[in-house]
Amino acid sequence: MQDFEYLMPTNLDQAIGLLKKYENKAALIAGGTDVMVKIGKTRKAPDVLISLRRLSALRYIKKNGGYHIGALTTHRMLEQSTLVQSELSALHDAASQVGSVQIRNVGTLGGNICNAAPSADTAGPLLVLDATAVLEGPLGRRRVPLKEFFTGTYRTVRKPDEVLVEMEIPEDLGRYGSAYWKHTRRKAMELPLIGIAVALKLSQDNSQILDSRIALTVAAPTPIRAYPAEDFLKGKVIADDVLKEAGRIASSADCCTIRTSLRCEAWYREEIVRVFVPRMAKLAAERVKNR
Amino acid sequence: MSDYLYVGKDIPRTIEADKVCGRAIYINDLKRPGMLHGKILYSRYAHARIKRIDTSKAKKLQGVRAVLTGYDLPDVRVGFIKDQTVLKKDVVRQFRDEVAAVAAISLEIAEEALHLIDVDYEELPAVFDPREAMKEGAPLVHEVDARGKPVRSNILPLPWKFQAGDPEKGRRESAYVVKDDVRTTWVNQGCMGTSGCIAEFDMNKNLTLYSQTNVPFLGKQRIQEYLSRLGLGKSNVRVLNPVVGGSFGTKLDTDIYEFIAIQLALQTGKPVKILFTREEEFFALPPRQPALFNIEQGCDREGNLTFREVKAILDNGAYTSWGATTPSVMMMPISSLYRVPNVRFDATCVYTNNIYAQAMRGYGNPQATFAVETSMDRLAEEAGIDPAELRLINCNRPGEETPMRLKITTCPLEACIKTVREKIRWGEKRGKRNGRGVGMASLIHVAGGARVYKSDGHGIIVKVDQNGRVDVLESGTDQGQGSPTVISQMVAEALGFKPDDVSITLGDTSLCLWDAGTHASRHTFMAGNAAIQACRSIKRQILEMAVEFIPQIVTYAIKKKKQKDPNFREPDLDWKLVASPEAMDIKDRYIFPQKAPDHPYFRTEVSEILTRGLHVGTGQSRVVIAEAFYDPPTEMLDREMKGNYSMTYAFGTTAVEVEVDKETGEIKIVQVFAAHDVGRAMNPTLVKGQIYGAAYTGAGYGLTEEIQVRNGRVMNANFRDYKMLTAKDVIPVEPIIIEVPDESGPFGAKGIGEPGLVPTAPAIANAVYDAVGVRISDLPITPEKILSALRKKDVC
Ligand SMILES: Cc1cc2nc3c(=O)[nH]c(=O)nc-3n(C[C@H](O)[C@H](O)[C@H](O)COP(=O)(O)OP(=O)(O)OC[C@H]3O[C@@H](n4cnc5c(N)ncnc54)[C@H](O)[C@@H]3O)c2cc1C
Repeated sequence: MQDFEYLMPTNLDQAIGLLKKYENKAALIAGGTDVMVKIGKTRKAPDVLISLRRLSALRYIKKNGGYHIGALTTHRMLEQSTLVQSELSALHDAASQVGSVQIRNVGTLGGNICNAAPSADTAGPLLVLDATAVLEGPLGRRRVPLKEFFTGTYRTVRKPDEVLVEMEIPEDLGRYGSAYWKHTRRKAMELPLIGIAVALKLSQDNSQILDSRIALTVAAPTPIRAYPAEDFLKGKVIADDVLKEAGRIASSADCCTIRTSLRCEAWYREEIVRVFVPRMAKLAAERVKNR
Repeated sequence: MSDYLYVGKDIPRTIEADKVCGRAIYINDLKRPGMLHGKILYSRYAHARIKRIDTSKAKKLQGVRAVLTGYDLPDVRVGFIKDQTVLKKDVVRQFRDEVAAVAAISLEIAEEALHLIDVDYEELPAVFDPREAMKEGAPLVHEVDARGKPVRSNILPLPWKFQAGDPEKGRRESAYVVKDDVRTTWVNQGCMGTSGCIAEFDMNKNLTLYSQTNVPFLGKQRIQEYLSRLGLGKSNVRVLNPVVGGSFGTKLDTDIYEFIAIQLALQTGKPVKILFTREEEFFALPPRQPALFNIEQGCDREGNLTFREVKAILDNGAYTSWGATTPSVMMMPISSLYRVPNVRFDATCVYTNNIYAQAMRGYGNPQATFAVETSMDRLAEEAGIDPAELRLINCNRPGEETPMRLKITTCPLEACIKTVREKIRWGEKRGKRNGRGVGMASLIHVAGGARVYKSDGHGIIVKVDQNGRVDVLESGTDQGQGSPTVISQMVAEALGFKPDDVSITLGDTSLCLWDAGTHASRHTFMAGNAAIQACRSIKRQILEMAVEFIPQIVTYAIKKKKQKDPNFREPDLDWKLVASPEAMDIKDRYIFPQKAPDHPYFRTEVSEILTRGLHVGTGQSRVVIAEAFYDPPTEMLDREMKGNYSMTYAFGTTAVEVEVDKETGEIKIVQVFAAHDVGRAMNPTLVKGQIYGAAYTGAGYGLTEEIQVRNGRVMNANFRDYKMLTAKDVIPVEPIIIEVPDESGPFGAKGIGEPGLVPTAPAIANAVYDAVGVRISDLPITPEKILSALRKKDVC
């Protein structure tokens, strides 16, 4: 049945209490842009939906020490934040391209990450920004690095009675340049055919790559980091052939398990990784220089 | 410049305010007392035998009022060649086969009941490629024809064969010849409103069908026939349009769901509504007809076309709707776009176990023009002639008759080509192969009706009340194109009233006269011509009353003045000025003598006359009403498939500049110039709206849109995976209106509903070739196809 009870706790403790009470009969709903679509499609709803809408305390973008972004922060808030745009550019690239303005007004960062679609737009940027997920449950808080958060397609380490509270990004990552490419067939209402996020730390004179992060979405059952390509770049001088080689490595079986689907064939997805790892690296470097 | 007051003016669309504010009543909003909700169960196989259907559980579900299968209904066949029944029994031939239907008190219950219907199938071998289906030994989609006679082949008994001149001779005389295979695919019309209807019988079994149809009268006829085969020959049928959220061809046939709603309503004695989900809209509604073309054409050393030969194979799907007749329109660009003396065209429609197709904006024209116009570019290259030049050399001219016997009246094609060539800076941009390129394509389309039925008629009734308010009962339909606005402009112009005086009622078979349908870009042309006729009569009626009443009014007024002012000197009036209807005219609601428009005594507001005409106080009172039925003197195609089936033809040329990313194959449309021959634009803003919309849809056809059908199943039945372009994919289109008023058109207008779509995709394909040197002749032109072609080219 599609009927469900809809509960609206007003604070985190209440929400966790309700989760504990209803156990596997309940599910959380934030913006509902994944949850409601799924209910409509499968024609099955949990008995109880626990809404996080009134937890407005979890809608924030803060910088103190590191960066802290509340789980209930909408894509639109990220899109309109100059802090995110200038210091966490890849996340800004991603959030501002989610669905449409209407979707971005309600869809949340927490929902995007907890839904754990292989195509989640914010996952790649958060991975290259070294984000950590902060979860809270009846037993208290715990922190899980995002690279360990996804366990499978639509599966995460989050326990059923835990709420994602915020994403933390280390302060140092704000000094990286970052960029995200969402490859699509049109300019709105799209999931990425493949997503490429790159973050680079450059030397003083901007010529050398001191540190690099590359993440791919739709390239494996979960959003992933392309470690071999990252390692290759570390310490290298930024140059076309170097970036090109990083693209080749990132698109290879060493990094990803790209598949053919109805939406796109594997060879083309690989090609896009090969082309856009260098392009995003250049854009990331450009952003460092223009700071 | 014309001295028209309303025609040619940018008068805003008035009824759209209701749509924008959510007040318009679409089929979704419409409820009838006691109404039930119908749902349809579709096949689970592309081809299978039905071994057993068990509806007992569904019937027991509380709230269910009827469950029907093919076994509950008489075997009455419906459709263009009567090759299907309403609900299918024994064999299913496609995934969209309607196997059972439910009516229930709520949509949710109806949906639940569908899940309770058990159907056992035995899968049968299926065929999905029309070329395979043509081969001997291929699984037969139908074992017998409509009359029950066994058939041997999947080829439809509907051959399209056209020949003019001597193509062999033409080929021999050619200096250059090109030959290509071209493929176009299924695309969805993408209406904002999904399909739906409400069927309602009264106790005497008279049917009212709230339907979105664009052919209320043909639809009524089909339904009347269906009912009489059911033994309900005495039933009266009324077909009524609610507000319709787009058609683009989907509403030209009477669809199976409408017959199902009728059956459910009959069975339950209650009004029954069926409303498609978006998913159904994608897989259970016939899309644009796909086609495979083999095209060959040639020219002599000077570039004069010598011959054109086209063979087409159409994947008909499992049943036959209007898709199978698209060759009648394909024939038009194939025989008559540019001057080509020798032409042959063969089209074969083949049954497969795929979904079947229907009409979509442009009918077969976009498909055929994609073949013709990409081939023109190939020929230009082969002959070493600039593609724009080749088109100009072979340009259609006014007054010519084409090999199909189309009589070209006005034809500014040359101006269209030259205008877009200049606008896009063709000479400077073409031939660079640097990732940027330009391309063009032209079109010809019917623009003065299309005699596809024995009557291409269109009726109108105009009545005027005592206040000078005008009601028009118009036999066409409005699916969002803005017809009511344009018709009110034309009526106001023809009557000498104001557009605000005119209200339009459309889409009601009980109120309106017959019409062949709001298709083939014919509404403005037909309604305008009919309106002009009717308004002539109305005007005459009013002026006749004016002859009678103006002297009375004026004499009375003078008398009054004299009473008030004894010194008032009676003027010496020339009564001849108002002595006959011919001596007077009406403009802006004022009746006036032609020779003295500002006459201080005779100039009279129409309502003064109309009121007197009605309230005479004797047995002489009268109403003002006229009807007109316009059926243009055109021809049906004869046995050789020739004939002048439209009063006039529209031409146009689109030029596109693209930028191609050689690493990703992505195409960016930099600019589009679309020059269209519209006769005279009745409302330039609305004309531009048609061109914008059509160009966008054409770009989608060219670049992104494709219903992915795998083994007969639609795989992308939603707008996420079906890539219709969005508002953010802004394509900078500049419409250019070329006006050469056509004598046959109302106030000189030609039809413009479809043309904008037609040349867009081939213009893009030609521009892509100019940019990167690869030719994609398989729609849509995806980045993957470009990248693959680029690689092949690099290897060679
Ligand atoms: C039309 C449309 C377009 C879209 N386009 C895109 C796109 O371009 N890119 C993209 O990545 N996504 C897209 N999406 C998917 C969706 O909008 C995003 O994933 C969005 O971020 C989900 O957020 P939400 O708040 O709506 O999540 P919800 O639907 O409310 O929840 C999603 C999941 O996360 C869980 N959850 C939510 N919040 C928490 C929390 N704080 N703690 C623990 N669990 C939680 C829910 O239980 C649920 O399982 C689109 C969706 C639609 C309908």
